[in-house]
Amino acid sequence: MPIPIRKLIAIGIVLCFFLPLGGCYDATEIDEEVYALVIGVDKGVNNMVRITFQYATYKDGGGGKAGGGGSDGGGSEESGEVDGTIVSTVEASSLLGAINLLDAAVNRQISLMHAKMLVFSEEYAREGIARYVEPLARFREVREFMRVVVCKGKAEDFIMENKTFIGTNSAKNIELMFEQSKNSGYFPDVFFNDFYIALLAPYGQSCAIYAGVNDFQHFPQDTGGKNPPLNTKQDMEPGDIPRKGGTKNELFGTVVFDGDKMVGSLTPDETRFFLMGIGEFRRGFFVLEDPEKPGFIFVIEAELSKSPKMKGNMEGGRPVLDLELTLDADIVSIQSRNSYENLDHIKGLEKIIEDYFTTGLTKTIERTQQEWNSDIFHFGKKIAGEFQTIQEFEQYNWLSHYKEAKISTQVNVNLRRSGYIYEAKPIRGTSEGGQGST
Amino acid sequence: MIKEGHFGFYEAFSLMTIVLITKIFFASPMVIIKTLGTAAWLGTLVSCATSIVFFFILYSLMKRFPQQDLYQIFESVTGKMVGKSLIIIFGIFLLYSAAVNLREFITVLKIYSMPFTPPGVLIFAFLLVVTALAYVGLEGIARTAFVFFYPVIGSLFLIIILSIPSYDFDYLKPYFGYGLMHTLFIGTLRSSAYDEIVFLAVIIRSIHGLKLFKKAGFSSLLLTGIVFSTCLACIVAAFQYTVGSEHVSGMYQLTRIIYFSRFFQRIEAIFLFIWVITSIITVSFTFYLALSSYCRAFEINNHRPLLLPFSILTFVLALYPSTLAEIIEVHIMILREFSSVILMLIPVMVFILAVVRGKKGVMRNANTN
Repeated sequence: MPIPIRKLIAIGIVLCFFLPLGGCYDATEIDEEVYALVIGVDKGVNNMVRITFQYATYKDGGGGKAGGGGSDGGGSEESGEVDGTIVSTVEASSLLGAINLLDAAVNRQISLMHAKMLVFSEEYAREGIARYVEPLARFREVREFMRVVVCKGKAEDFIMENKTFIGTNSAKNIELMFEQSKNSGYFPDVFFNDFYIALLAPYGQSCAIYAGVNDFQHFPQDTGGKNPPLNTKQDMEPGDIPRKGGTKNELFGTVVFDGDKMVGSLTPDETRFFLMGIGEFRRGFFVLEDPEKPGFIFVIEAELSKSPKMKGNMEGGRPVLDLELTLDADIVSIQSRNSYENLDHIKGLEKIIEDYFTTGLTKTIERTQQEWNSDIFHFGKKIAGEFQTIQEFEQYNWLSHYKEAKISTQVNVNLRRSGYIYEAKPIRGTSEGGQGST
Repeated sequence: MIKEGHFGFYEAFSLMTIVLITKIFFASPMVIIKTLGTAAWLGTLVSCATSIVFFFILYSLMKRFPQQDLYQIFESVTGKMVGKSLIIIFGIFLLYSAAVNLREFITVLKIYSMPFTPPGVLIFAFLLVVTALAYVGLEGIARTAFVFFYPVIGSLFLIIILSIPSYDFDYLKPYFGYGLMHTLFIGTLRSSAYDEIVFLAVIIRSIHGLKLFKKAGFSSLLLTGIVFSTCLACIVAAFQYTVGSEHVSGMYQLTRIIYFSRFFQRIEAIFLFIWVITSIITVSFTFYLALSSYCRAFEINNHRPLLLPFSILTFVLALYPSTLAEIIEVHIMILREFSSVILMLIPVMVFILAVVRGKKGVMRNANTN
């Protein structure tokens, strides 16, 4: 049966309606763009800023000298090739303007949709970074999950060392690098979204990841049999870890901001206490000296068992705050093989660990109060409840009163398990003390 | 009179709820957080309570004139001439509302998703669907609303649940925002955000009587109030009142910060479909009512020949605002803060006039629900 002409026309019209569904104007093929993975901001020489982009090259196996790990990490310095990525730096008046400038040399549009890390040089961070954060908060391509890093030295140098040593996927490598915060707690995992919110917050200040490049010069030479001292503290800065081999980049510590300016940094140990205070600490090993056998250590693996309890009020015009943490810990090593895990000793050990955490937390808070007057813990959100209106709270200006606050801390530790061993037996040998000759 | 068909409680409830809550996806949260700060969630509850009071007055008016819709009541109380003028005022407002809602949607779409597509192309594509729905008529729009009601509410619920890791409800402090009296005043003023409920009185003849009108009206107002208040509280809890008052679309931003792992992120595209659907239903409904008002005022029995001219009118009106600032600071403000002058004040005045003049409707059938 022939189809009536009216029906044919109707079908034709309906088909025409499908034409705009292709999204012609905004359509972009994946390989028409090149995705910046890292954005670095340094101070310029002839113009305001030097922006460094590290972007993927789509080449099989990462391109260049795939896999990295070689003596030079792969790639040529002149072309900026770094393990399947290109690192390009351009001097410009603004961050987004730099993209257009770089378009002159890159045959694909640079997209920030998959940018995973924003790196500021410390020099720049100390001068104030608000004007380079603002366009990123406004620009449609930037994701909220990009991490904010402040590095010692130049951001460009830091990005040049952002090499892929395990696997071939640079993007995955960068994401997993930040996941390490959950395993050690030595640096905070700061998302751009949280950083930006904290910049504008009346409740507290912002912080960022502290990073550096390790040139492996801090790895000491062999001293020839001299007994080294026991040092359980991690109070180094990024780039100073005594090590060699692997990637040179290190994320180690927390950068403290006052407004948009970097005012100082927390050591890796302090970072752990800070993360515990804000409930972001996932887990980590803690090495403490054995109280009964100096020179020996015991190691616990601790995690927050519940969110921190924070209370705040005003007493006589002075802010008073209480912070209570509860940690679950497992004993993972007792070098002396003393049976601290049994019921006779466990309370004593818990007390030692509680004192360690309470002191660490108190000192970290005091440092942020006295040294920088920067409330990166966001205690202000508890004090805000003491005011009825935003006007009153903003007029009081919590950020300037943070140093006056009386903050009490309490850490409760529950030693839950002791690994595969319960009440270890002594090692027997022929020498005095029964431990054999060593 | 146009044959508008009949539908039940669920269709009416779904339609009114979707029409009322669509604005939460766009610039409304930003405006209300900017005005009320941390008390935005409280302010919208005040607006909802004010609207419920208004709806009670509207219900009293409808009860006084059983078996008549709002337009018929206008004519019964104020006379044919004034009544028709009021219908035309409603019609013009509805057309304006359709155009502004459409433009707001297109602007947000351009900001977040389709930056390079010209607004004209987006409006044209959108209007094609709106016109098709309006062609089918009120019953078709209501049934479409019912079909999409659960996905819309479900996705809103999902956004709120998935964003839980980002919330810190301490950021709702200070609880009274910029002051309790300020919150109460602005909350009352912004009851315009809920005044689309008056449209239920316009379509009352399609929804089987007063009892259903009352049930659908109160239920949709209550649900919308809860949804608005929850969404605003969540936006403030996630972004604080400072950043919350910057985002053009707070709900969209909320979906952008959903992050559970490297594998579970960037899911906002899924919700974009829901926002498109709610906008289409809302604009189709107001567009259809504008058309219907015109037909009622000039006693035209078939609305379909008017679809093309009204589409062109909507297209032109939607293109009229040239900047985002103009849309937010002029048109959306008129729509969400001052529309009650037309949508609430006129029915209230008509009600007062009916009481003063002692006018009542005639019951033609004993079983009026």
